[in-house]
Amino acid sequence: MHSPMEQFEIKRLLHLKILGVDASFTNSATWMVIAVILATAVFVYGMRQRALVPSRLQSVAELGYEFVAGMVRDNVGDGGKKYFPFILTLFIFILFCNVLGMVPYSFTPTSHIVVTFAMAAFVFIGVTIIGFAKQGLHFLSLFVPKGVPFALLLLLVPIEIISYFIRPFSLSIRLFANMLAGHTMLKVFGGFVVMLGVVGGWAPLAFIVVFTGLELLIAFLQAYVFAILTCLYLNDAVHLHH
Amino acid sequence: MPKSVYGALAGLAVLVASGAVLAKEGSGGMPQLDPHSFAPQLVWLAVAFLALYLVMSRLAVPAISDTLDRRQAKIQGDLDAAEKANADTRGLVAAYDKKLADTREEARKLMRERAEADSAAATARLTALNDKLNAQIGEAEKRIAKQRDEVMAGLEQMAKDIGHEVYAKLSGQPADQTALAAKVAAAVKGGGR
Repeated sequence: MHSPMEQFEIKRLLHLKILGVDASFTNSATWMVIAVILATAVFVYGMRQRALVPSRLQSVAELGYEFVAGMVRDNVGDGGKKYFPFILTLFIFILFCNVLGMVPYSFTPTSHIVVTFAMAAFVFIGVTIIGFAKQGLHFLSLFVPKGVPFALLLLLVPIEIISYFIRPFSLSIRLFANMLAGHTMLKVFGGFVVMLGVVGGWAPLAFIVVFTGLELLIAFLQAYVFAILTCLYLNDAVHLHH
Repeated sequence: MPKSVYGALAGLAVLVASGAVLAKEGSGGMPQLDPHSFAPQLVWLAVAFLALYLVMSRLAVPAISDTLDRRQAKIQGDLDAAEKANADTRGLVAAYDKKLADTREEARKLMRERAEADSAAATARLTALNDKLNAQIGEAEKRIAKQRDEVMAGLEQMAKDIGHEVYAKLSGQPADQTALAAKVAAAVKGGGR
């Protein structure tokens, strides 16, 4: 029996070394590239006609655009327009990686903490830079809740600071843990199907069918959560009405 | 913010627990924790993400926002045009109604004038005809009276002549002219008796 963790193993398909850095093309990279190609197909090929009455594929592209545009508009406001392409890329990239991970024998790049953490850290550092660039040192007032007695501030300010610096971890681990748990669960129950055979294997098989539906929902939901939290963090940096 | 703290702690717990379980199984731990796999993943993450970002920001976003703007403009334009057409139609209908009412009023006025003129002319014509007929009737009566008088005068003479003749034949001597004339005149006056 294979370990349920085997599906997460990084396999080097093409050994590469660029400037002393191991840049091998792996199974993870393969599915990232496939995600980018499919997203490009939807958003560029689908939009090639720029029709006033959209085709089906164009509707999908517009739907994704308007979904993220609404998210940015509602959570960041007008100041978020500049960052919209980044949020859209983030959402679409995570969504496509997550959903493509549901294809049997595929690989889920977002099931690796290093990938999700890299994205979360990029967002965290970016938001912090934007915050200081827009607000200057005033950005530090983010850590000081308004209308709180001074004695309480001694307690609340450290909590606020910790919760700020924990953002990249919560952001990355939420996505990574969801992908990891879901795929592991599917694999474990797949193992049960084999173990119980024709007689009792139907029960875990039925569970897998239902759970696959749930996993598709989670694949979307986690992309959404990642994007909307990025919007909220960005809102702190742009508007500072904490 | 506490929510994300709990999320992070729960995630860390899952991570550590599953790592520990797998380490116990002796399968070499989670592939996610293998530092040798970090560099290639990060390199290709950067490449793929940057590629998608360029595609989105340079191609997709301008294309979609342009399309949405044009659609919005088209819808707004169509709505405005419809609104304008509606207003125009309402104006035209009002103008038509006014024209119709005016024309109806005009027609009624013309009809009334015409009717009045007609009745005046008819009365005048009738009066003229009446007068003419009355004149003709008067003339005819005069002519008839004159002719009657002539006939009567002739009749008297004739009666006188016949009386004279009859008297002469019966008596054999000429009648007294004066007495005969008186008798005839008396007979004519007495209605022929």
